[in-house]
Amino acid sequence: MKIYETAVRKPVSTILIFIGAIILGLFSLNRLSVDLYPEMDLPALSVLTTYAGASAADIEQNVTKVLEDQLNTVANLKTMTSSSQDNMSVVTLEFEWGSNLDEASNDVRDVLGRIETYLPDNVDKPMIIKFNSSMIPIMFLYATADESYNALYKMLDEKVANPINRINGVGAVSISGSPTREVQINVDPQKLEAYGLTVEQIGQIIAQENANVPAGAIDIGSERLSLRIEGEFPESMLMKDIVVSNINNKAVFLSDVAEVKDTVKTMTVEETINGEKGVRIIIQKQSGANSVEIAQAVRKALPELRNTLPPDVKLEILQDTSKHITNSINSLTETVMYAFIFVVLVVLFFLGRWRATFIIVLTIPVSLMASFVYLLFTGGTINIISLSSLSIAIGMVVDDAIVVLENIVQHLERGARPKDAAIYATNEVWLAVLATTLTVVAVFLPLTMASGIAGIMFKPLGWIVSITVVVSTIAAITLTPMLSARMLQFRASHTYKGMGIIFKPIDRILDKMDNAYAGLLTWAVRHRTTTIVTAFIIFVASLALLQLVPTEMFPTSDNGQISASVELPVGANLEQTRTIAHQLGNRFRELCPEITVLSISAGADDQAGFAALFGNSGVNTIAFTVVMDDWSKRKEAGLRGMEAVAEEMRKEIARYPEVVKYSVSPGGGGGGMSSNTVEVKVFGYDFNTSERVANALADSMRTIKGTRDILLSREEMRVEMQVDFDREKLARFGLNTASAAMFVSNRINGLTASQYREDGEEYDIIVRYGEQYRTSVEDVENIMLYNNTGQSTRLKEVAKVVERFSPPKIEHENRQRVITVSAALSGAALGDVATATAEKIRHLDIPEGISVAIAGSVEDQQEAFTDLLTLLMLIIILVYIVMATQFESFRMPFIIMLSVPFAFTGVFLALWMTGTPLGMIALIGAIMLVGIVVKNGIVIVDFTNLQRERGLSINQAVITAGKSRLRPVLMTTLTTILGMIPLAVGSGEGSEIWKPMGIAVVGGLTFSTLLTLLVIPAIYSAFGNRQLKKERKANRINA
Amino acid sequence: MKAIFIVFGQTLNEPVLDILDSEGVRGFTRWEETFGRGSYKGEPHYGSHAWPTKNSSILAVVQDYQVDGVMNRLRSLNQKAEAQGLNAFVWPIEGGL
Repeated sequence: MKIYETAVRKPVSTILIFIGAIILGLFSLNRLSVDLYPEMDLPALSVLTTYAGASAADIEQNVTKVLEDQLNTVANLKTMTSSSQDNMSVVTLEFEWGSNLDEASNDVRDVLGRIETYLPDNVDKPMIIKFNSSMIPIMFLYATADESYNALYKMLDEKVANPINRINGVGAVSISGSPTREVQINVDPQKLEAYGLTVEQIGQIIAQENANVPAGAIDIGSERLSLRIEGEFPESMLMKDIVVSNINNKAVFLSDVAEVKDTVKTMTVEETINGEKGVRIIIQKQSGANSVEIAQAVRKALPELRNTLPPDVKLEILQDTSKHITNSINSLTETVMYAFIFVVLVVLFFLGRWRATFIIVLTIPVSLMASFVYLLFTGGTINIISLSSLSIAIGMVVDDAIVVLENIVQHLERGARPKDAAIYATNEVWLAVLATTLTVVAVFLPLTMASGIAGIMFKPLGWIVSITVVVSTIAAITLTPMLSARMLQFRASHTYKGMGIIFKPIDRILDKMDNAYAGLLTWAVRHRTTTIVTAFIIFVASLALLQLVPTEMFPTSDNGQISASVELPVGANLEQTRTIAHQLGNRFRELCPEITVLSISAGADDQAGFAALFGNSGVNTIAFTVVMDDWSKRKEAGLRGMEAVAEEMRKEIARYPEVVKYSVSPGGGGGGMSSNTVEVKVFGYDFNTSERVANALADSMRTIKGTRDILLSREEMRVEMQVDFDREKLARFGLNTASAAMFVSNRINGLTASQYREDGEEYDIIVRYGEQYRTSVEDVENIMLYNNTGQSTRLKEVAKVVERFSPPKIEHENRQRVITVSAALSGAALGDVATATAEKIRHLDIPEGISVAIAGSVEDQQEAFTDLLTLLMLIIILVYIVMATQFESFRMPFIIMLSVPFAFTGVFLALWMTGTPLGMIALIGAIMLVGIVVKNGIVIVDFTNLQRERGLSINQAVITAGKSRLRPVLMTTLTTILGMIPLAVGSGEGSEIWKPMGIAVVGGLTFSTLLTLLVIPAIYSAFGNRQLKKERKANRINA
Repeated sequence: MKAIFIVFGQTLNEPVLDILDSEGVRGFTRWEETFGRGSYKGEPHYGSHAWPTKNSSILAVVQDYQVDGVMNRLRSLNQKAEAQGLNAFVWPIEGGL
């Protein structure tokens, strides 16, 4: 028994199987996590090597270069960049997309093991750091306090950070900008010298005094008691009374030579939130955890956490990345719902039967559920790509059911019983249904083979559409006939009774449309040359239009966040940085009423970890984080969008002459995906020449319209104080550079003598010169050095303190020195700026030994576009093959394929009219069109062939087929178009991202359908008549 | 005894069998798929691309008194579903096993 027959004869099993599938789908849906994009971790590794005391140039020569030469051999390596700076070398290896990072890191580890001996002796073991998108914080909280400010860190650590850390999925919670307690022993160098003491001795004494020592046990009588010496200071102030020396039988107390302060660390960073001093709490998730769920849990926990804090501490959410995700996904879900409703209405409009509509629409949830199961099993998420795939699929999954149901209805009209009609009607069309499904799969399945970043977007799209369409076909040949057998009855035509009255005008409209089309078609077939030539001209003209459509990688979406970084001249201290930060902060709040939260972080926390390692951070940097209301709310209130606010901020920052470098990134920059930048790499060994070229380039790029924040990756030369030891003198005195340097470091930077314990927490005890004794060059020169025999000398006797420009950070890409000039974009398309930049580069005078190349998003874009075009070719060939086997003809698929160019014409036209740039997302839409458009062609050509086989003349066949297939074609096309319209006109949050796809599909499909309906019949008749003439000629010759 | 040869669009399968049952016709031979076309009107049933419908055929040998009943009911079925192209032919049977 055939599958459809089984389904009709066993309705209980059929219905239960589908109900089971739906339950499985709902179960999967319930378990899926929500995210903005599919997981797209950049496959990159960093090798971090520290070499204490080496300058940037030394690091470059002795560490970075050695590493680079060897790491270059690692498999799948795409680009290798490095930065060499004082004390540290970072080599970043970027691999091809889809590479296995675990394998790569093993390879890297092997290489490192091999070359360890080639590295200088004092180099620390190189560290491998893996990148992961979960490192990007998902949430920021902030806390402000008045009286409790000094105790804030401990309080937040215990009462906020720890409970949040216990929430499922939270990876790390760190507190930034909070004061940390330390015990400072600020010595007076003169007094120290007078008593013949050194910082080291003081440190040693403190360490020895502050110790708990177990001393064994003693037996007293029958008991055994342990003996302990509790030397640790129960209170920090007791340290004042430590005896550090004995002179003339008189004790010298620590308080005689130093000041003991139990205080907070000198801050190198100051965080303010809306003008108040505060602390930021950064929450990161574990890899693979659900950001939205975590954010919800944190939100829920907040009120309770607040209760545990003193009343003057305020704890609020600063930034919640999940909000944008939730809003975007919600608005996209709404779009999918609208698509569903539109499809239902279209089916009802054309069929005019409630029950038939119900049967057809039922295939939508059934097939969509299958994609949820797929997502769950492959570890996917509900994201923009998977949801838009669903929205695309909605319009396509009903097609098969429509074909099957239409044939069943036809049999019913001919007097068959529902059960028989269902079985035999399905039998007649199931092969054709399978064939059209195969064409759709031929379009979408190759998408899963896309590589690189395009692959990440297309893989889920390809799989979801392929799976849903296949499942919809299965439903169409089982569920649809089964339900038809049960629910449909024969009814000649509309009775227009009751609710049916609304179908009366609809039927009239449809009939009129049929007749009008038949008239138009007759004209088009008679004047087929005119029709074909006109269509061809339109297509060629649209190619010219392509020049006018700008290109981009990804659209940016307004998530209500702006981050800005401002850099003051190197050497600015925290005080200066803070002043500028406050001034700018106040101006921002005055100028932009859109800002709801403004968080400023002035300076840099030296414990900030990754940020400090990879970014330029120093006391001279300020980071602004702006949070605004949701875009929809702002729009209602008549406020500006993210870009406009960012522009205003840029203008304001530019007014400050103190600022040497700044960048304002709307969208928060962290998203990676949403940043459109044009980068130009200037390769060249000579620092001065390459810097000159880079500067010239930056100047000329500033003149390009739409570029903002032109930045050079190389930092300005930095002024430093360096101590130059005279080795000879040093040796004569009995010291070496390392030991002498240690003296300097202990006095200026401080010596961590021991830990002071209180309530289970440990605080550093730092011994160093008091602040007033380390403010000038003389202070450094007067540092007293001691040798092993206790002789002393001043630093200036053996060394010189000089001011120098230290070489900047040295960056490499693929082992060449490079300076990156980057430009952010505002109101200009990536492609245009890239072209303009290329033009500027051509006019640039580039000296020998320097080469210049455009990179950044442009590079990615070109790669992705090339990938997609290759795919497009593959798809076209596959579709051709599927159709050729279906028609057993070379000519028919060719005729059908001719409708594809018009789809592209429609895409260009729609993009141009709406001013939408051609990006990845629009391109997805264009590629999908191939499948959808071809389907229409198949329907028309197939039916025309059928009419010919039934003995009609070519022109008759073309017109009859056209007239009778108009409704099915319009119906399936309209379901797809209307399914996409909510995407195209969507105004919800995040709609900017998928809008281009909606516009591309709606434009392309509308245009191509209108043309296909006329051009394909015209071409068919032209081909057919030529064939006929040939045959006649052949016959005549034979005769 | 008479032979009745019934040809009809596949989808009339059940009603035709119902008629035979209710008229007390026990024996018949059925060909699930047969192809053909009518002499005057109606669409061909070829099971092909152009004419996708198929016929089924039944040959039943019945007692003389059963012929009218079967034929009448087949006629009324045909009137209800003319597009199915139901046709029936009767001829005498000379003998059998």
